[in-house]
Amino acid sequence: MKSELIPKKTRILSNFRETSDIFTLILQISGSYMPGQFVQIGIPGIGECPISVASYSKNHLKISIREVGKVTRALGKLRKNSFVYIRGPYGRGYPLVEFQGKCLILIGAGCGVATLKSIIEYIEYHREKYKDILLFFGYRNINDIIYKKEVNKWKNTFNIKIALSKENAKTCLDWDSGHITDVIAELKLRTENTGVFICGPPKMINDTVEILKKKGFNDEQIYVSTERLMYCSIGMCCHCMIRGKFTCTDGPVFRFDEIGYYKND
Amino acid sequence: MNLVVYILKKDVMYDFLLDIKNKFETYVPIKKDITRFKILDNPKDIDFSENSYFPVKEHFFRKKEVIFQFNGSNFLPVELKSKNKIFFGLRRCDLNAIKNQDFIFMKQHNDPYYTSQRKKAVLIGYHCTKALNKYCFCESMNLTDYYDLMLFDKTNYFLVDAKTEKGENLIRKYKKYFKKSNYKISDKDTYIKTRKINKKDISKFYDHKDWDKGINLCLSCSACTEMCPTCYCHEIHDNTEINNPRNAKRIRSWSSCQLKEFTSVAENHTFRDTKEARFKHRIYHQLQYFKERNKINLCTGCGRCITGCPTKIDWVKIINEMR
Ligand SMILES: Cc1cc2nc3c(=O)[nH]c(=O)nc-3n(C[C@H](O)[C@H](O)[C@H](O)COP(=O)(O)OP(=O)(O)OC[C@H]3O[C@@H](n4cnc5c(N)ncnc54)[C@H](O)[C@@H]3O)c2cc1C
Ligand code: SF4
Ligand code: SF4
Repeated sequence: MKSELIPKKTRILSNFRETSDIFTLILQISGSYMPGQFVQIGIPGIGECPISVASYSKNHLKISIREVGKVTRALGKLRKNSFVYIRGPYGRGYPLVEFQGKCLILIGAGCGVATLKSIIEYIEYHREKYKDILLFFGYRNINDIIYKKEVNKWKNTFNIKIALSKENAKTCLDWDSGHITDVIAELKLRTENTGVFICGPPKMINDTVEILKKKGFNDEQIYVSTERLMYCSIGMCCHCMIRGKFTCTDGPVFRFDEIGYYKND
Repeated sequence: MNLVVYILKKDVMYDFLLDIKNKFETYVPIKKDITRFKILDNPKDIDFSENSYFPVKEHFFRKKEVIFQFNGSNFLPVELKSKNKIFFGLRRCDLNAIKNQDFIFMKQHNDPYYTSQRKKAVLIGYHCTKALNKYCFCESMNLTDYYDLMLFDKTNYFLVDAKTEKGENLIRKYKKYFKKSNYKISDKDTYIKTRKINKKDISKFYDHKDWDKGINLCLSCSACTEMCPTCYCHEIHDNTEINNPRNAKRIRSWSSCQLKEFTSVAENHTFRDTKEARFKHRIYHQLQYFKERNKINLCTGCGRCITGCPTKIDWVKIINEMR
């Protein structure tokens, strides 16, 4: 019997603890996993959950997971060479091809930074195809920072701003305290020929979009990645529907005006 | 329409049913407290006076479906057991509802669980001549002919139209009960006069205040989605046996957009937190969202979500009165 809902056995190459509740798995899996897409990852008997692609590579897949419940906690306990069960990749990712030849502003907070990482790796691989890249990362505090090593590396090639919302004093000279949205609000940003990709919790996305609008960005330039409860990820179970659009197959990345105004749907 | 139409005399119908019952699990409408599709025992129990309280949906899109079993290292084959079933006396609305679910589970997706149940079922319709009850509104829903066989009631006999090979084969196998006729089924036979929805497109009415008439009465009980012949929302959860935790099952089961937990995620956040958002979601999925994507109405006008609603929210009337 063949069913789209039966996952594939996949080996864990490593499990790295980023913070007290976030870990990164490297999975031995080949294929095309694009920035903004996601997989369903699970353990039979416990369950599965949607997790965003956090790398751009043909040979392996990286994902970063926050422990919030049953499945994510169980996954966090797995070690190198154990197996997980994967379906996907699913969904429509960021319109990276469409924005070739343009500038990009990438804004991420919390676990949304994971998705940003895959975009950055994609851009590094196709660096000549893009103009200026500006990165904004929002974390809660110093212990909340994922991808410390990568961030240090990115500093050499990209313009990067980091804000820690719950850290009082400046912990490091080039990091701001406060919300990433405040940092964005203070800056002068060029709007022409620029795309903005945002990834993070719903409130952060909405606040950010509001600020961007005031700066003169329009709906067509802003892309957001959305999260909803979902089970099947193939456009069948209907839990993730937003005004008729499926987060899993039409999204999870939407142009802001496609769904952004429907916060309670 | 098929060129050959058959005649099935009413008294002969009973013999026909007793005969097919030997080969097929035969479901017919039987009225006790309510009308349900039940396995045929005595053909005289058949009652066409009202539509079944519940649709036959659960025979194909089953309430619980084991997606896979897992023994700790391997997936074990799931046996998709199904029986040869005949459903006798399905209404035009419910046949179209099956058409819509066939579209979702067999055309859009290749769902082996649904397909295994559906493939072995023969659908025999009983065509309404008038609205079966005051809540029916199938006339507005652009229904089509979707059946293996359809019975048109001509008082002393039925005209039987075959639409598919499955239907033709059944008649061929039981040909002694059927006589050929040169009658041609026309729009006259398939027309059912019911009340209507007076708006083709409700998209502009999303923020209309009249929705409150329904929302204020809604209990978020989910009876409407449970009875709906087209609703297909579901959730997926894992199960393990307590005495053998390595034996795992992933199970798909029905769920309802009318319940809060349908869109609840971490940190106690619920996207469709209000009754208003949930109530509208149901109506808009049925009348608009599905049509936008697939060019067909999801709702087929059977009216069960109104007859079965504890507070009888007549949302068709509410829409019709919106100005
Ligand atoms: C497209 C998409 C991409 C995602 N990417 C990531 C990622 O890269 N990293 C990451 O850590 N998380 C990500 N999530 C969120 C992640 O799927 C949930 O945290 C996870 O499903 C919780 O599962 P659980 O079994 O551990 O929690 P459960 O025990 O099932 O529940 C714990 C809580 O999490 C809630 N929850 C369940 N499903 C979701 C969901 N889909 N979204 C949000 N909350 C949910 C439950 O309602 C409950 O309140 C993503 C979600 C989506 C839809
Ligand atoms: S909705 Fe139409 S087809 Fe269905 S029972 Fe009523 S009259 Fe018959
Ligand atoms: S059956 Fe009626 S009361 Fe119950 S959820 Fe549906 S509309 Fe609301």
